[in-house]
Amino acid sequence: MAARSSILAKTVSTPVILIGILLIVALVALLVKSGPFNQTVIDIFIRVVLVVGLYVFIGNSGVISFGHIGFTCLGAYATAWLTIPPPMKKMALPGLPDIILNAKLPFAPAIVLAAIFAGVCALVFGKILMRLSGIAASIATFAMLALINQVYSNWERVTGATSSVVGIPINRSIWPYAICAFVVVIIAYLYAISRSGLALRSARDEATAAAASGIDIPRERLIAFTLSGVIMGLGGALYAHSVGVVTPDTFYLGLTFISLSMLVVGGMNSLSGAVLGVVILSTIIQILRWFEKGVPIGGTTLTIPNGLQEIAIGIVMIVILMYRPSGLTKNRELVWRGWPFRGLFGGA
Amino acid sequence: MSPTLTADSVSVSFEGLRALSKVNLDVPRSRITGLIGPNGAGKTTLVNVLTGFQVPSEGHVILDGERLGCLPPHKIRRRGVARTFQSGRLFSDLSVLDNLEVTGIGLGLQRKEAASRAAEMLEWVGIAHLAERTAGGLPYTDERRVAIGRALMMEPHYLLLDEPAAGMSAEEAAQLASLIKRIIAEKKCGVLLIEHNIGLVLNICDDIHVLDSGEIIDCGSPAAIKASEKVRHAYMGTQADAVGEIL
Ligand SMILES: Nc1ncnc2c1ncn2[C@@H]1O[C@H](COP(=O)(O)OP(=O)(O)OP(=O)(O)O)[C@@H](O)[C@H]1O
Ligand SMILES: [Mg+2]
Repeated sequence: MAARSSILAKTVSTPVILIGILLIVALVALLVKSGPFNQTVIDIFIRVVLVVGLYVFIGNSGVISFGHIGFTCLGAYATAWLTIPPPMKKMALPGLPDIILNAKLPFAPAIVLAAIFAGVCALVFGKILMRLSGIAASIATFAMLALINQVYSNWERVTGATSSVVGIPINRSIWPYAICAFVVVIIAYLYAISRSGLALRSARDEATAAAASGIDIPRERLIAFTLSGVIMGLGGALYAHSVGVVTPDTFYLGLTFISLSMLVVGGMNSLSGAVLGVVILSTIIQILRWFEKGVPIGGTTLTIPNGLQEIAIGIVMIVILMYRPSGLTKNRELVWRGWPFRGLFGGA
Repeated sequence: MSPTLTADSVSVSFEGLRALSKVNLDVPRSRITGLIGPNGAGKTTLVNVLTGFQVPSEGHVILDGERLGCLPPHKIRRRGVARTFQSGRLFSDLSVLDNLEVTGIGLGLQRKEAASRAAEMLEWVGIAHLAERTAGGLPYTDERRVAIGRALMMEPHYLLLDEPAAGMSAEEAAQLASLIKRIIAEKKCGVLLIEHNIGLVLNICDDIHVLDSGEIIDCGSPAAIKASEKVRHAYMGTQADAVGEIL
């Protein structure tokens, strides 16, 4: 009856629609042809990677993590180690092992290795953390974030401590970022419909009954934690190549707040929520940025104070939590039910 | 010796409160064993011990002749001991089909195979029409049947039912009784039935154990339990009326 092929057939419209939305965003960037706007769109794709990475763990397990941006930090520095020209590296980061000091990898293998490195670290942390559950697990992930940040802020000879690590080759084309966002959406979708994804969602609903159904909850959580660690690491590597500079504090509380907000606003338990949360909040952020610079209206220029971005996002998040606690998507997925958009939001 | 699921002199204490003391109980295959007793007697605690949710402070669980030690619940389920919960505990965000499929996955199947087994089981229990419904919104009796179907996935050797008839009408309880009899006849597993509906227990059980304040105070055939003075005694108050009507 309901074979896997039919699970695919029933749900495959979700990643197709999401990738379609992201393609539209990319095409807008190509049409506008402005440097700053190009950078804005690259930021959107990087955030899609990060927020979908959060979704893979948080959405499926129901355990809130405040620590995932730590893996983003690991990925960003890892690609810096692999791609900065060796002479610069020997000056700035002399503590690195020789094999890395002499390495000069191209973009693609570097970001893949960086993502794998973050994933291995997530596996190690997860082995310990996944035994905890509920609020204890959440707080432990926060401790992990602080720990990673402290190590990277102080290990002078390997990370440059708090000073900026520069010289990371910058990639200004939107396509590498877009393709990574597409791939991450597909990976998250495949995980959600996998055995482990279903097992983890059952444990999110009813942990006791899941254990009584033969589900090894810590093991399934660890799989999701590691996979999301890989994705967060990839997001960090992409970030590093989008601006060419990294510091430990780039990957700390601010980014944690923004990416969790995007997930919450979209709907924590759905992939569509992750993607739409990014697109919608990024649009709001972009509009606020224009206003921070000043927008001419009639005879005067309307300017809003700097820092209003974060305040506005905080307000949007509180309003959503008050009036639509399961997010804009109500934790459901976008599905295609024929033309026209009949029941665009399908079952969970 | 024929295979059984056995509590061997099991004791459990919660901060001084002795919930079970030296309880012995056999659940043989292909039979229905009843477990009755007043509220707070320790029935659920005994099921928790048998399924790994509660580590006994003394005694052991013996499965088909082998001591289980402290296996976690998911491993005990993989060894063929399944249970339902007094409070239902369905996966409320998942469809009914997925509720059953989860057990198939927990026991090692791929999704495709697990889904087709789940569909067969829904058919067997007689609730195939509910397959696509979200489990969260089901009426009470359907919820119970889904829970039994979920526990029955993958042919467990033992099935422990914690008050499956709670809140059911007489007619619904009769349907449940015939379902349990079919489970014994066709699936050949051993059933432990915990129930406050004494009529149901007397009607379908082969053996009945009576638990009171953590101790087994009597056990025997339905006829013997019916006649037991001790059981009458244990069911004082409101329960006494219920038993009195039946006895
Ligand atoms: N986790 C726990 N911590 C402390 N006390 C507990 C715990 N679980 C059960 N108890 C106590 O142990 C005793 C036995 O409880 P149990 O739930 O096993 O009874 P029961 O026979 O299933 O009752 P009911 O018919 O109401 O379901 C009760 O006094 C209960 O309050
Ligand atoms: Mg009970």
